[in-house]
Amino acid sequence: MSVPNEGNDMSSSSDAQLSSHVFGDLLDSIIVDVASECHRIAKLGLDRNFEEEEEELRLSAQARVRVADPSNSGEANSKYVVDIFGQNHPSVASEVFECMNCGRSIVAGRFAPHLEKCMGKGRKARLKVTRSSTAAQTRNSRGNSASTYSTYSNSNSTSRLSNGASGVAGEEYSNGALEEP
Amino acid sequence: MSTRKPSYANPKPCNHLSAYKLKYGSSGYKSLQKSLKSAPNGRTSVRIHETKIPRCSFCNGFEGRLYICLICSSVSCSNHAVLHTQLEIGHDLAVDVQRAELFCCACSDQVYDPDFDKSVMAKHMLDLPCSTNSADSIGERLCERKRLGGSGVVLSEFKKPEKSGFVRDHRAKSCYPLGLRGLNNLGNTCFMNSVLQALLHAPPLRNYFLSDRHSRRTCRKRTANRLCLPCELHGVYSAVYSGDWTPYSPAQLLYSWWQHSENLASYEQQDAHEFFISVLDGIHEKETKARNHTKDSGDCQCIAHRVFSGLLRSDVTCMTCGFTSTTYDPCLDISLNLDTSRCSWSDASNKPAKANGSSCSSTLLGCLDLFTKPEKLGSDQKLYCQNCQELRDSSKQMSIRKLPMVLCLHIKRFEHSLVRKMMRKIDSYLHFPFSLDMTPYLSSSIVRNRFGNRIFAFEGDESEMSTEFEIFAVVTHSGTLDSGHYVTYLRIQDQWYKCDNAWINEVDEGIVRASQCYMMFYVHKTLYYKANIDLRHLPVSTQKEAFQRMAGCC
Repeated sequence: MSVPNEGNDMSSSSDAQLSSHVFGDLLDSIIVDVASECHRIAKLGLDRNFEEEEEELRLSAQARVRVADPSNSGEANSKYVVDIFGQNHPSVASEVFECMNCGRSIVAGRFAPHLEKCMGKGRKARLKVTRSSTAAQTRNSRGNSASTYSTYSNSNSTSRLSNGASGVAGEEYSNGALEEP
Repeated sequence: MSTRKPSYANPKPCNHLSAYKLKYGSSGYKSLQKSLKSAPNGRTSVRIHETKIPRCSFCNGFEGRLYICLICSSVSCSNHAVLHTQLEIGHDLAVDVQRAELFCCACSDQVYDPDFDKSVMAKHMLDLPCSTNSADSIGERLCERKRLGGSGVVLSEFKKPEKSGFVRDHRAKSCYPLGLRGLNNLGNTCFMNSVLQALLHAPPLRNYFLSDRHSRRTCRKRTANRLCLPCELHGVYSAVYSGDWTPYSPAQLLYSWWQHSENLASYEQQDAHEFFISVLDGIHEKETKARNHTKDSGDCQCIAHRVFSGLLRSDVTCMTCGFTSTTYDPCLDISLNLDTSRCSWSDASNKPAKANGSSCSSTLLGCLDLFTKPEKLGSDQKLYCQNCQELRDSSKQMSIRKLPMVLCLHIKRFEHSLVRKMMRKIDSYLHFPFSLDMTPYLSSSIVRNRFGNRIFAFEGDESEMSTEFEIFAVVTHSGTLDSGHYVTYLRIQDQWYKCDNAWINEVDEGIVRASQCYMMFYVHKTLYYKANIDLRHLPVSTQKEAFQRMAGCC
């Protein structure tokens, strides 16, 4: 569709009109397209149950508000005195049984770290060997073994190292901060 | 089509459509077929003339909607469609030229006829580049298996094990359902305890182990290998369902599991999902070895696969010609990305606002929508199209071909932090429903939707598996990627229980709704309700706890 070029204003406004017209047409077409699609979905019963979904969202929002309210009993924060059977449990499981690998009696809550060493798996078990030999070398080569060790024991991240270096099987659980589930 | 509403297959026709069908049947549809034109994106339109645009026979207009009469092929615009029916009696039915939809000019409304959709789809199938799909053959294969007696675990009766009888639990605490028992944390093992609690209450798995389908007795006969994860699991089931309520230590299981999964054997916090997959793998390995089969997991009959295995369908479509290549992959669970579309974005940074404010409201359905949404592969990921014989822009779409009995949905709550170049956890709240209808995510629904939701038979329709699920366990996580805590909530007889290692407590459903879900376990609705009834009649195992207080590993 060509329009005679009768001057800038005229042609630009009819261009603008034209493009606006085309745009409007496209927009209409898209709208009817979507309407037709939704009509089919609705008539064939394929639509989702939006009321149900909204109800669910409402329930969730309510629940979250209740839980976030500090005045509520610490249900969400597991400040329980007893469980449903009326029992109380210590933070470290206290049941004692025998390790099936070595036969020693182990406290349940310490079983995994024990088993790791017992089976020779995990980083700590392997590291322990390395560290001891390294520490031995260091000790021999330098005179001030005391300062070396004290540096290690002060920093948090190397609490494992200090465990490894001490080399005693029974008392390795000072990284209790992490261990607590 | 068992779960679809009846209006899907048989939409109610208007009088005019009925009258038209009576007189002309499908002949009008068939003659229209040659004018139908299919587009690669699954849409069909009517192309009357190769070079001229259609115009209204009354006003010569070409804008807006145009309808072509099914009887005389005259074209009218939406303004004049009614006129046509007045001038020519009985010429009520027309077809929308742009969308190939039936339109009743007398009612001025879109109407639906399965026969029309069928002929549209028939033309579409003809037009589309033919894919030598393994899809169809697999579809047939799956259907055949069903005819041969099905693959499901027979749940209505579990074989009465030789030793234990149906003994009611007469203890004082029997007001609580059987199977509730705390699990001791053996040292950073809450990831294991949380998954165990969910497995302990997955109805088909529970029934399998409690009816001694796998036990040490029968296992030893088949293999001299001492390591057997299913045996250990059986031990856990027996202990937890024994009626004893002091917390149980799954030490034997941990020991066996560490022997099985060497790379995960260490005293440190681990991922529950990883443990879940690892345990299922251990069961699978053991059972396939026992039967001397090397089936691929798609056909596997081990209990892990029978309960958890589903089939995912992946369609890659060439955006130029519409050629679709389909592949199927079995899956034990579905890992979903968080749908952050409903999150509001904080101004300062380019990250969604934290979940503590209520600005982020992702839903599980939203995540599933995201999972099944067609994804345009970037132009740097052009794929080779067999039909065009060159690299083309493509789009990929996932859907679920076959649902498992127990559906485990895993939320990927981690992302790469571009700033710090490491993974970090996403704490956003995710809403999840207690009842879930998976129909919209089935391959049949997704593919049908791709073709404009036409009414036509799809190879997956005759599946008798229901799509309605009920949640029975939620594994939640709190904390960071490196250090956190897992807690499982169990839903038994519509009461929720919090399982926090050794602690079992009743909680209100609101607590569960508000929790930060990580893995959700849904089971077929019928199995859920059946399980709740069964619980009162479960045999109390007469076996002692699997882990005896003596040396050796039995």
